[in-house]
Amino acid sequence: MAADKSLRQFPPNSAASHALASCPLCHKVNSVHRKSCSRCGARLHLRTPNSVQVTLSFVLTALLLYIPANIFPIMSTELLGDDSPSTIVGGVVLFLEHGSYFVALVIFTASVIIPVAKILAIFWLCHATTRKTPLRHYELTRLYRLTEFVGKWSMIDVFVVAILVALIQVQGLMAIHPGIAANAFAGVVILTMIGAQQFDVRLIWDKQRLP
Amino acid sequence: MATVQTQTATHQALDLYACHECDLLIRLPDQYDARKKLVCPRCHHTITSGHRNPIDSVIALSVTGIIVLLIAGSFPFLSFATQGQSRTITLFQASTELYLQGFDLLALLVFCFIVSLPFLYLFLLLAILVPIKFNWRRSQPIFMGRLISFLLPWSMSEVFLIGVLVALIKVVAMADIVLGVSFWAYVCFAPIFTYVVSVVDVHRLWHWIEHGR
Repeated sequence: MAADKSLRQFPPNSAASHALASCPLCHKVNSVHRKSCSRCGARLHLRTPNSVQVTLSFVLTALLLYIPANIFPIMSTELLGDDSPSTIVGGVVLFLEHGSYFVALVIFTASVIIPVAKILAIFWLCHATTRKTPLRHYELTRLYRLTEFVGKWSMIDVFVVAILVALIQVQGLMAIHPGIAANAFAGVVILTMIGAQQFDVRLIWDKQRLP
Repeated sequence: MATVQTQTATHQALDLYACHECDLLIRLPDQYDARKKLVCPRCHHTITSGHRNPIDSVIALSVTGIIVLLIAGSFPFLSFATQGQSRTITLFQASTELYLQGFDLLALLVFCFIVSLPFLYLFLLLAILVPIKFNWRRSQPIFMGRLISFLLPWSMSEVFLIGVLVALIKVVAMADIVLGVSFWAYVCFAPIFTYVVSVVDVHRLWHWIEHGR
């Protein structure tokens, strides 16, 4: 039982320390000696392998994509042959000028605050799992839950563009075209969602045995 | 070492559960009771939410959801009129118009997120639950269960609904907007779908798949 020695690094009340691995897909408890889950056949691991590295790679890519998502136009409005492209932040400013503070707030929250906060939160979680000091487990877990819940809501902006592009196509008068930033922004949302999924929250709870 | 041995020996017991978020080893109540809400005592992760009659509710709401989604797909979604010109779009045009403008990938993603993945999710739920409800041939629909778990994070009907509302606020000042039948159908669909998703948690879904009840 060479494997059992390495199990001692886990806290004594965890399933891992009892040589039990929870299936990532169906949550069934399996023996660590199994390769795949006895119920659903998913590959078993005590913890998601290289969770922090994989998460960081997705989130860093998302961070890089967030730059073109902001500097290129997300859509352009063609009015009587005049093309006026607008970026994400430009759209928010436009709403503010028109006095629609509520819509400006919704767009700003969904396309600026949430993605940035999410990327920062995941960085913080990754950093926390490598720290030597004791962690605030419960608070960090709640932060993770919030990050996961909020993930898809950033897609709002892409859907707004999709609807506007479809709806506003009046021949010779007015038309809205999608911009490259829409692709980049969808990429940011998808990558941060995958990044959050790859992060294994249990790593936070594994650190509680520190003196 | 001895404790590890005994726990390994008893790991087949159905009532052992490892919290998915903090890996706390928990002993669940002996009898599976759909009405009971189960929460991890340490991190308060909801293992399963309590529901009085989950199978019937989920079947009924899934059928409703599919019907409403079919309605949403077959009638006009929104109409837009300004200066004597008007345009009516269907739900699918939110995706096809992006395709026509050369944004193929985005068009595909939007179509999956708002229509096809939610539809597939409800369809798979029915495929799992209807045989259970009527006691038909019982094989464990494991593939469908795995597929459902992969689809779920990518179904964004409620996000799309809010996106549509924001887009409407944006254009309502510059033109006359008519909300079509399909719009109202989608307004019904999004909450139904969200509710079904909240009832079918991982613990419950795999209990159904494994035990057929």
